[in-house]
Amino acid sequence: MQVLATDVASGPMTVTLGDRSEPAADNPAIFDVDGLNVHYGDFHAVKDVSMGIRKNEITALIGPSGCGKSTVLRCFNRMNDLIEIARVSGSIEYHGVDLYGPEVDPVQVRRHIGMVFQKPNPFPKSIYDNVSFGPKIAGFDGDMDQLVEESLTRAALWDEVKDKLDGSAYALSGGQQQRLCIARAIATSPDVVLMDEPASALDPIATLRIEDLMQGLKEDYSIVIVTHNMQQAARVSDRTAFFTVDVEQTGQRTGVLVEFDETSKIFTNPGEKQTEDYITGRFG
Amino acid sequence: MTELRPHFHDELAQLESDLVLMGEQAAEMIEAGVAALVAGDVAAAAAVVERDDVVDDLYLGVHSRWLETMALQTPVAIDLRLMSVILHVNSHLERIADLAVTVGKITQVSDGLPHDPTLVSHIQEMGDIVSTMVRSAMGAFAARDLDGALALPEMDRPVNRLNRNMVREVARLAGDPELLEWGVRMMVVSRTLERAGDNAVDVAEQLAFLLTGEFREFTDASHHD
Repeated sequence: MQVLATDVASGPMTVTLGDRSEPAADNPAIFDVDGLNVHYGDFHAVKDVSMGIRKNEITALIGPSGCGKSTVLRCFNRMNDLIEIARVSGSIEYHGVDLYGPEVDPVQVRRHIGMVFQKPNPFPKSIYDNVSFGPKIAGFDGDMDQLVEESLTRAALWDEVKDKLDGSAYALSGGQQQRLCIARAIATSPDVVLMDEPASALDPIATLRIEDLMQGLKEDYSIVIVTHNMQQAARVSDRTAFFTVDVEQTGQRTGVLVEFDETSKIFTNPGEKQTEDYITGRFG
Repeated sequence: MTELRPHFHDELAQLESDLVLMGEQAAEMIEAGVAALVAGDVAAAAAVVERDDVVDDLYLGVHSRWLETMALQTPVAIDLRLMSVILHVNSHLERIADLAVTVGKITQVSDGLPHDPTLVSHIQEMGDIVSTMVRSAMGAFAARDLDGALALPEMDRPVNRLNRNMVREVARLAGDPELLEWGVRMMVVSRTLERAGDNAVDVAEQLAFLLTGEFREFTDASHHD
């Protein structure tokens, strides 16, 4: 990992942690979040979040329980719309378009912005049908066999299932089921894949396979991942957003974004003491 | 604040406390080595050489526990920087003790040679400054005192000056072969103490890195003053 900027050409050597000798590729923004607030009824779940999600990067959202990281993730594909009392204000622009604009169809949004959940949730169908289901609904009229193979290959599952595509998805292990869900998510050629604790229900080997898979997937997709596992965020992500819980005088607990920076900076020399306290285990 | 990793942070504190112990050992060895040289006390010089085992044991203990802690605890942020600093400071202090051993050994092989009181006083002055530098660097480390760390290059300046002048002073002795032999050995002592001073500055640089996240050489090795 390139984390050091060195200057030895003249004068004493200077090295700053977290600064890259070559600046991170200035990838265009996929999402531009500005002053995002989320309420569930009277409960102010997330307050004034502003951040940018860049193309072909993995962005990790970390923080303690109740800090709003999953709530923010669900704003990116309007999953909060499915909760009747949820109210989203502020702005999320997706490729410059207001994601919450009146003309935007949330179903279309979710075709472009796929999601993988904590618990593998394959359909009670065959492996093949799990992958082909989304494209079929979307009216895909190309070579479905090829699309299924490509999607399963990208999800690093093809070699394990190519001889049992008609078998039930439920017969797969937990790690394989999760990779099938990833194959299902990318079969519709999304632009972004949101992952909500994608490996927390998996054993360590399956977890590492998912992490390795993510590194390959970011060549084609932009990924936003919520994780409780800080080392996972450190291992897989390019940028990390640290959220925490702000306890107001009334006792109301609201999620706030403390710091958002390159992951190498967050885990070697974070700018905010709150971040440092949390990631070093000095947070209660 | 709730401490969620008390065992890990206790281990970090213990590693640091062993470094403080090593720092004091190294400073005392420089003092004792120079005192033995000034007094021409071969037995005291031998004691300095033997004392190196104490520092070596501390060094090896810190190193093995460091590896274990790194492997098991995956430190991040300031804990990661502290681990990096511990590894470097451990090496610098072990090196300072080795340099004190060199002074002790030169005292042993110089036994019976005539000496020059001016050079001896300069060696004494260098030894006093260098042992003070080691204590200052370690004191600043323990107190997380950035200003204290930044003061080290200034303390090092007279050591460098005395070392530079040593060639000329030894050249003065060229008329007397035995005195010249002693003088050449003192040039090595002078260079050894100068290196020990540099290691103390390196310890201070590590402290600055710990506190700021920026590693910066205090002085430019390629354009030394």
